[in-house]
Amino acid sequence: MTETTAFRVIHARARRRRHPLRRWYRGNERAILSAAGIVSFIAAWQIGSDAGLISKFFFSSPVEIAAAGALEVQKARFWEDVKISASELAIGSLAAVLLAVPLGIAIGWYRGVSLTFDPWLNFFNALPRVALIPLVVLWVGLGFEMKTIIVFFGGFFSIILPTVEGVRTVDRQFLDVARSFRAPERLIFTSLVIPGTLPFIVSGIRLAVGRVLAGVIIAEFYAQTAGLGVMIARSEASLQSDRMLFGVLIFTVLGIVLTEAVGIVERYLQRWRPSLDLEEAA
Amino acid sequence: MRSGHLALSARGVQMQYRDRGTGKTLLAIENVDLDVPDGAFVSLLGPSGCGKSTFLKIVNGLLPATAGEIKLHRVAKGREDAMVFQDAALFPWYSVLDNVAYGLVCAGVSRGEARKRAVPFIDLVGLKGFDDKYPYQLSGGMQQRANLARALAVDSAILLMDEPFAALDAQTRELMQAELLRIWNAAKKTVLFVTHQIDEAVYLSDRVVVMAARPGKVIADIEIDLPRPRPLSVKRTPEFAVYEERIWRLIAGEYEHARVASQPDAAS
Amino acid sequence: MIAVRGAPAVQLLGRLRSSNERVFYGVFGFVGLTLAWEIAANTGLFRKSLLSSPSAIWKAGVIDIGAGTLWPHVGTSLEEFAIGFIVSVAIAIPLGLAIGWFRRIDYFLNGLLAALNATPNVALIPLIILVAGIGFESKVIVVFLSAFFAVVVTTFTGVQSIARRHLEITRSFGGSRWLAFRTVALPSTIPYILSGVRIGAGRALVGVVSAEFISANQGLGFYIGFFGTFLDTARVMLGIVLFGIFGVVLGELLRVVEHRFDVWRPELHR
Repeated sequence: MTETTAFRVIHARARRRRHPLRRWYRGNERAILSAAGIVSFIAAWQIGSDAGLISKFFFSSPVEIAAAGALEVQKARFWEDVKISASELAIGSLAAVLLAVPLGIAIGWYRGVSLTFDPWLNFFNALPRVALIPLVVLWVGLGFEMKTIIVFFGGFFSIILPTVEGVRTVDRQFLDVARSFRAPERLIFTSLVIPGTLPFIVSGIRLAVGRVLAGVIIAEFYAQTAGLGVMIARSEASLQSDRMLFGVLIFTVLGIVLTEAVGIVERYLQRWRPSLDLEEAA
Repeated sequence: MRSGHLALSARGVQMQYRDRGTGKTLLAIENVDLDVPDGAFVSLLGPSGCGKSTFLKIVNGLLPATAGEIKLHRVAKGREDAMVFQDAALFPWYSVLDNVAYGLVCAGVSRGEARKRAVPFIDLVGLKGFDDKYPYQLSGGMQQRANLARALAVDSAILLMDEPFAALDAQTRELMQAELLRIWNAAKKTVLFVTHQIDEAVYLSDRVVVMAARPGKVIADIEIDLPRPRPLSVKRTPEFAVYEERIWRLIAGEYEHARVASQPDAAS
Repeated sequence: MIAVRGAPAVQLLGRLRSSNERVFYGVFGFVGLTLAWEIAANTGLFRKSLLSSPSAIWKAGVIDIGAGTLWPHVGTSLEEFAIGFIVSVAIAIPLGLAIGWFRRIDYFLNGLLAALNATPNVALIPLIILVAGIGFESKVIVVFLSAFFAVVVTTFTGVQSIARRHLEITRSFGGSRWLAFRTVALPSTIPYILSGVRIGAGRALVGVVSAEFISANQGLGFYIGFFGTFLDTARVMLGIVLFGIFGVVLGELLRVVEHRFDVWRPELHR
């Protein structure tokens, strides 16, 4: 009797042997639930649409969108639009990376130069770049060049700013080590500055993904000449919401694929960084 | 203030877990018995992987054991036990005062009252005047003082200390050991102290419980018969060296044992 | 070189430079490039119709403000932005916190929200205009959507990255899960929330401009587009500069908020 009142007893909890199926679920819970989330979103949309809860006029059901997509991909006009949008995106983004990275490294390496450019870079980074569309139209008209330049602007400032920042914040301690070994500038550059800045560059590119996509869409909306954005806008004008949402879906997929691709590169570059929670693993 | 009863009594404590990668069941702790008398200072000493920290977490209720039973002497009010964590265990967004008060807040005390009750403990651990500093403004030693004050403030019967000085530099560690004995003497607590440092365990403890790894088990329970109070100079006495030597042999013997046992593997 | 070093003017410059390097170079860069732009435009280095010139933009601004034709546009854009953005953040932050805190809900919605976040939501502008018309409401909805997913996703990512050790402390002292949420999850997620708000603000601004380009009869985006069709480069540039200034001011405001919340973060005090 006195035993139980005098002590707080901490009992063991025996490990239960779980059913293998349940164990499999526990091991893959995240992936399973995540897939279930997406599937149930689509299912709810479809059911709601069929039951008349969601207006088919505005939001076609997933099945209708798929049907519209199946029809769309047979049209030569569609592939023409894809080709135009893809070229604008590819050329604009590539030019942005190829110019922003070396320029950013050069500017960042010279402290005075980087601080001189600071207000301008910050200004352009804070400016919604699509606001430049009417100006660029004044330069080169409504065609392919304008849209490519807008894509370029979308990517360029997103990448150059973190690049400058990355070079400027290269760890002083590492620089001291290199200098104490009398490393030549060239070596310091290739062995310290470049690897130290890479993560910054990649995170800039990740930000740029969303911006170049938004840039190409808005530029095409604005110009109304050609491209997937025009297909979306034209579908809206003719009240074909299934076809329009198919167009939006293409950009969704593109956004996910590009973001994931950059994420893979990012994780690869960070592989030498120790995970913070390692000691808690046990 | 030793009343003669046991503050903690563990019987047959076992801990196994499943390795996520291999799916194999691993035995972290195998059948540990341990008695800690009220008011005593007992150390759990062993190499990493011997399950000493795991044992502490089981006592604290953070982990459930897979077999066995632990009894803690019930106290009139408040918790039976309070944990002093290893390092980086303060909330960086709280001042020293709020960190020390946090244990009381967890126990349901209002923020204002908890702060009031935390002040004397901040003074006790020697942090007077640092109440409104944030953790990043403190040295490692000072952070561990605050960590200790937080556990003392909840006024538990037993303090569980999980390698609290492991991350400190050698001089700071020695000073903190002496400080801990001063505070222990003032606060009249039972302490269960986990460490992998032989001299730390011998210097602080009434008893050193030596553990071996893979699976974790108790291999010796050694009474430290050195007079108290113990100045740091005790560490330079021959008696102290004898204890160190004895424990070192025990642990080294275990290592040798493990090395021989694993040799056929290495050859194949 | 040695002679130059002794000149008093250069000495003064040097002192100024070392006393506040950032400001010195910043002002130098701003004034220098603005001057270069003005001179280049006036010496015919490039056609004025391409970039206008600082003085011409200034003049256009003075005229339009004096005539009262600029503020209604600025006001409309500000209003659309403010309402859409504030409502968006007010809903997105609690939602993100709730999603992150409950593991199963997090798993369930994670993929879906990541997909929606990766969608360039400006692509939905035609649909929104179809649903809500070309007026004020559709702009507010665009702003709302543009910011929403960025804030939700960064917020629940923040909750996911709470240090396990910190949650352990609350548990160790017998604190409830609700206490852990208030005292651990909330403060340690604030930096993530704020960076989400920053990203969301940028996207919301893009939303305002885009929606006003596509269909509007009021607003700064409309102003830029309108004068673009009239080849009035100075007013196009004026609109762009105002958007840029708005973006910069917004960024600075958020920085002030960040500092207010981050007194405990050492990296900001070095």
